[in-house]
Amino acid sequence: MPAVIMILIFSIFPLIASLILSLSRVRLRAGGYDVRFVGLRNFEKQLFGSEQFHFLGTFTSISLLGWVFIIAMGALLIRWFSVYLRGPVVVIGLIGRIITASMILALSVLLAATLLSGNQFGTLGVTLFYVLVGSAIQFLIGLGLAIICAQPIWGRTFFRVVFFLPMMITPIGIGYAFRMMADTTKGPFSPVWQFFGLRDFAWAADAWTARSFIVIGDSWQWIPFIFVVLLAALENVPRDMIEAGHVDGANGWQIFKEITWPSIAPVAATVMLIRAIEAFKLVDLPNIMTAGGPGISTESMTLQAFFAWRAPDLAQSAAVSYLLLFIAVVLCVSFFNLVILKRRAAIA
Amino acid sequence: MTAANIGADVAVERRAQRLSILALNKSFGPVHVVKDLTIDVAPGEFLVLLGPSGCGKTTALRMIAGLEVADSGRVILGDTDVTEALPKYRDVAMVFQSYALYPHKTVAENIGFPLKVRGVPLEQRSAAVRDAAAQVHMEEYLERYPRQLSGGQRQRVALARAIIRRPSVFLMDEPLSNLDAKLRGYMRAELKHMQHELGVTTVYVTHDQVEAMTLAHRVAIMDQGVLQQIGKPREVYDNPANLFVAGFMGSPSMNFIDGRVENGRFESDGVSLPLLNGAPAGPVVMGFRPEDATVVDPGMGQFDAKVFTAELTGDVTLVTIVIGDKSLAVKMPKEYEVDFDSAVAVSLPLQNAFLFDAHTGNRLPAQFALPPGQ
Amino acid sequence: MTTDDLTQIPSRPTGIARLFEAPQMGKMSPAGCVIVYSLLFIWTGFVLFPLYWIAITSVKLPIDVNSGPAYLPWIDFTPNLHAWRDLVVLEWAETLKPYRNSVIIAFFSTIACMFIGSMAAYALARIEYKPKFGTILMFVLLMAAASVSVGVWGVDWRLASASAAAIFVLLARALGRRFKRSVGNSDILFWMISQRILPPVVTVVPVYMMFQSVRLLDTQFAIILTYTVVNLPIVVWLMYDFFSGIPKDLEESAQLDGASQFTIFYEIVLPLARTGLAATTLLVMIFAWNEYIVALFLSTTKAQTMPILVAAMNAGEKGVLWWKMSVVIIIMIIPVVLMALVLQRFISRGVLLGAVKG
Ligand SMILES: Nc1ncnc2c1ncn2[C@@H]1O[C@H](COP(=O)(O)OP(=O)(O)OP(=O)(O)O)[C@@H](O)[C@H]1O
Ligand SMILES: [Mg+2]
Repeated sequence: MPAVIMILIFSIFPLIASLILSLSRVRLRAGGYDVRFVGLRNFEKQLFGSEQFHFLGTFTSISLLGWVFIIAMGALLIRWFSVYLRGPVVVIGLIGRIITASMILALSVLLAATLLSGNQFGTLGVTLFYVLVGSAIQFLIGLGLAIICAQPIWGRTFFRVVFFLPMMITPIGIGYAFRMMADTTKGPFSPVWQFFGLRDFAWAADAWTARSFIVIGDSWQWIPFIFVVLLAALENVPRDMIEAGHVDGANGWQIFKEITWPSIAPVAATVMLIRAIEAFKLVDLPNIMTAGGPGISTESMTLQAFFAWRAPDLAQSAAVSYLLLFIAVVLCVSFFNLVILKRRAAIA
Repeated sequence: MTAANIGADVAVERRAQRLSILALNKSFGPVHVVKDLTIDVAPGEFLVLLGPSGCGKTTALRMIAGLEVADSGRVILGDTDVTEALPKYRDVAMVFQSYALYPHKTVAENIGFPLKVRGVPLEQRSAAVRDAAAQVHMEEYLERYPRQLSGGQRQRVALARAIIRRPSVFLMDEPLSNLDAKLRGYMRAELKHMQHELGVTTVYVTHDQVEAMTLAHRVAIMDQGVLQQIGKPREVYDNPANLFVAGFMGSPSMNFIDGRVENGRFESDGVSLPLLNGAPAGPVVMGFRPEDATVVDPGMGQFDAKVFTAELTGDVTLVTIVIGDKSLAVKMPKEYEVDFDSAVAVSLPLQNAFLFDAHTGNRLPAQFALPPGQ
Repeated sequence: MTTDDLTQIPSRPTGIARLFEAPQMGKMSPAGCVIVYSLLFIWTGFVLFPLYWIAITSVKLPIDVNSGPAYLPWIDFTPNLHAWRDLVVLEWAETLKPYRNSVIIAFFSTIACMFIGSMAAYALARIEYKPKFGTILMFVLLMAAASVSVGVWGVDWRLASASAAAIFVLLARALGRRFKRSVGNSDILFWMISQRILPPVVTVVPVYMMFQSVRLLDTQFAIILTYTVVNLPIVVWLMYDFFSGIPKDLEESAQLDGASQFTIFYEIVLPLARTGLAATTLLVMIFAWNEYIVALFLSTTKAQTMPILVAAMNAGEKGVLWWKMSVVIIIMIIPVVLMALVLQRFISRGVLLGAVKG
C-alpha cells in the first residue's frame, strides 16, 4: 500500500509540524528560523486576544433577534437529541452527536452575537458564509441545470460541454476575470450601473455586495462540477424505474420526489461534501477580487492564514489553519456520518 | 370466432375494457421491430403474446402502456383513443420484465406506491398492500428492501404492485420467468384465477408456450415483429397457420421433413406418401407432432427408420429416430423400451400431418390420402 | 375492495394545465420547452460571457480597456494583437518557461497519481485490510517524535527518520499483538478523503520547511511530489467506486481461465474502469494544472507555473495588465480543452464522476 503510506507521511507530517508551529513562536533569522514553545498562546490570541475581532468578529451585547435565533437553534438541537435518544443509542454515536451539536450551537451563538446583533463578522463567519450560502446556491442551480439537461432536449451535447467549461479555468484567472467584469466604470456592465445612477458606487466598498460578488465568481467556477456529477447520477437512474412510476400513475413531481431524488441523493450528498471541503479552502477569489476587503469583510480563514504567512507570522498562520481544520473536520465528519452514510445505507 | 364472444364467457366486471391496437408500427433506427400489429382484445379477455426472444413483444407492450410512442397505428382503450396519451392517463398496470422495483423503498412501500400517488390514505393503503402481498405469498417480506429478496420474490413484488390497483388493463411482461417450476405452476393457477375473478383485460407476454397454452383465452404468436396467428390455444395448436407457428407451439416441437410434391405424392428420401387433393407440384415441408406418431416394427408403418436414442422424460418416453440425415422425435408411452440402432418404422395417422409451402412457410390445404383402415 | 373507487383514472388535463403536460412520453410540454430553453440560454450566456470578455480583452489595446467598456471587435474598438505578440513572440522565452513547467508538473503528477492511486484503490476494493489500531497509533506517534526532534531540537532529519523507522519495525509486531482492535477498509477510505479537508495552508508551511531542509525548494520535483500526494485521495476515492462497481465474477472467471493477477488487472479490470480512469485523470489534471497556492509557496523562479504567471500580470507597477493576463488565461485553457476532447471519447454519456455514488 504505497499510496497509504505516502499519504500518511505527507499528511501526518505536516499536521504534526503545523501543530508544533501553532504552539510555538517562530522567528525567522538569516538562513533558518527559531522555534520556541509557547503553549496555547496563539490560539488564545485568535479566540480571545488581539486577533479576536479578526477571527470571530466584534461583540457587543446580543440583540433580541440574536437571542431568538439562539433559542430556536437550541430548541432544534434538543428536539434532534430527543428523537435520537428514543431510538437505539450507541456510545460513539452519542458522543459524535454531542460534539456536532455543541459545534452547531457555538456557531449559532457566534452568528447571533455578530451578524444578528449588527456587529462585524470575523473570518470564521465569512468562511461559513461561503461554505453554507455558496454551496447551497450552487447546489440548487447545479441540480436544476442537471435536471434540465437530462430532459430530451435538442443540442444536449453542446450545452453539456459549454456548462463544463468554467471548471477548466484556473481559479486565479477566474478571480481576475470577475474583477474585470465587476468593474463599475470599465467593466461590461458599467452602463447598467450608470443606468441605476451607481456610477461611483464601488461594490468592493460594501461588505455584502463584495461577498456576493465572490459567491457569484465561486458559483461560476463550481456549478459545472456539481452539474456534471449530478447529471451523471441522473442518467444512471434506471429508466424502467421511472417508467414504472409513470405507469403507476405518478406525476412529474411525484416521480422526482419518490423515485429520482432518493436514487441520486447519495451522490448529491457526496458531491456536496466535496464542494463544502473545497469551499472551506476558498482563497484565490477573495484574495484577487477584494484582497479580503473592505476591511476584513471578505476574508476567509484560509486567506487569513495566507496573509499571516506572508506577514510572516508562521505560528499565527498555523494556528488559524488549525482552527479551520478543527471546524471543517467536525462539520464534515458530522455530515459524512449523519447524512452520507445514512443515504448510502438506504440504497446500497 | 371473434374477440367479442370470447370475452363473453368470462366474468366481465364493470371496469373491464376492450383494448384494440390497430396497425401499430415501431422502428428503432433502421430496425423495424413491430410491423403492422393489429390485435383486438375483448373486455376481460386474457390474451397471451407469445414469440421467441427479440421478436418485439416487450416493445408492443410498451406501446400499449404508452412508454413508447408508435410510429404509426392506434391504441384504443374502451372507447377512447389513447395513442398519444401519457401512461398515467391510460389506467394500465404493468409488470416489467426487469421488475423495476424501487430499491430505496421497502416491499410494502413498493406495492403501495400506485395507491400512494393517487392519494389513498395510509390505513386503506396498508390493508390493500397486505391483501396484494398475500395473493403473491409475500406477507412475511413486507419490511424488506428489494435487494434483500431473491429474483423470484422480486418478481412477485412487481406482480403485487400491479394487482393492488384495479386498472382497465393488466400488462405483464414475463412475470413468472424467474420462479422455480413448482412456484411457477402455482402462480400460474393463482394468476388465472385472479384474472377470472377480477375480470380485468390482460395482455401477457411470454416465450413459454406452456404458460401460453394454460393461461390464455387466446394466444397471439409473433415472429420478427409480425403477428403470425391469433386464436384459442387449441386452435393454434391444432391448426397452425404456418411453419413458424407449427414449430413454435409444442414441446418437443413438430417434426418437419423437407420434400416435394410429385405426381400427387409427397416425396422425400425414404418417405413417400399419397396426397388426397392435388397440391401443386413443388418443394414442400411435411410436419407432424411427436405425440401423433407411434414407433412400430419395421414394415408396419408409413416409413422405415432407425432408433437413435430413447429417453424417459417422466410421463413419456421420447424416441429419437433417424431417416437418412433427418432426425425425428416420437412420444411413446413410458413403458416403451427399444434398443438403440434397432430398425423400426413410424406409423402416422395422416389426418394429423400438415403440409407447408417450403418457400412461404404457409400451410397448404392439401390433405394426405388416408390408407385403408384409418 | 374499497380502493376500487379511490384509484380512478385522472382525467386528461384541460385549459392552462395542458401547457404544462407533455403530449406523450419522451416529449416536453410546450410551457416546459419555453422555460427549459430560456434557462439553458440564460445559463449559456452566463457561462460564456466572461470567457468572451477575456477573449476580446486579449485583443484590446490598453487604451481600449481603460476607456470604458467596448463590446464588439471592429465596431467598438479595433482588435490588436499586441498582447499576443508580446507574450507569444517577444517574451516567448519568459512565457515558455512556466508553460513548460506547468506541462511537466501536471503531466508527471497526474501519471504518478493515477498509477499509485488506482492500484491502491483496486487493492482497497478487492482485499480486506485490517491494520491494527495500535500499529497506526505508534506510527503516528513516532512520526510526531521524529518531526519534533527535527524541528525543535534540530536533530538531523535523516537520523530522526531512520531511527523512527527502526523503532517502528522493531515494535510493530509486539504492539500489534497487544492492541487487537483493527480498522477496516471503509475507515481507511474515509480517512483518505478527510485528507482533502486539510486546507493547503495547513500543509504547505511544513511542506515548505520540509523541502527547504532537503534543499528541494523551487524544483519541479517538489511540486510534482506535493501535487501527487494532495490529489491521491481524490483518485483513490473515485477509482475505488469504479473498481468496486466491476462484478467480481468477471475476475473470478478470468482466474478460472488461467489468467495471472497481472493479466486480470490489465486485460479485464482496467478496460472496464476506463470511463472512471478517463474522468479521474481529467479531474486530477485540471487540479494540478490550475493549482496556485502550493506552487506559490514552493517555487520562486525556476519552477514557476502558469497560475503564477497569471498572478504576476497583476504584480507590476503599472497595475493589472488585463490584456496580457487574458492571453495567459487563454493559452492556459487550450491544453485542458484538448485533453478534455481526447478523453471525452472515453467518457461517453457524460459519466464523468458518475461513480461518486458509493
Ligand atoms: N431502445 C431500443 N433501441 C434499439 N433497439 C431496440 C430497443 N428496444 C428493443 N430493441 C430491439 O427490438 C427488438 C425487439 O425487442 P423486444 O424487447 O420487444 O423483444 P422481446 O420480444 O420482448 O424479447 P424478450 O423475449 O427477449 O424479452 C430486439 O431486436 C431489440 O434488440
Ligand atoms: Mg421482452
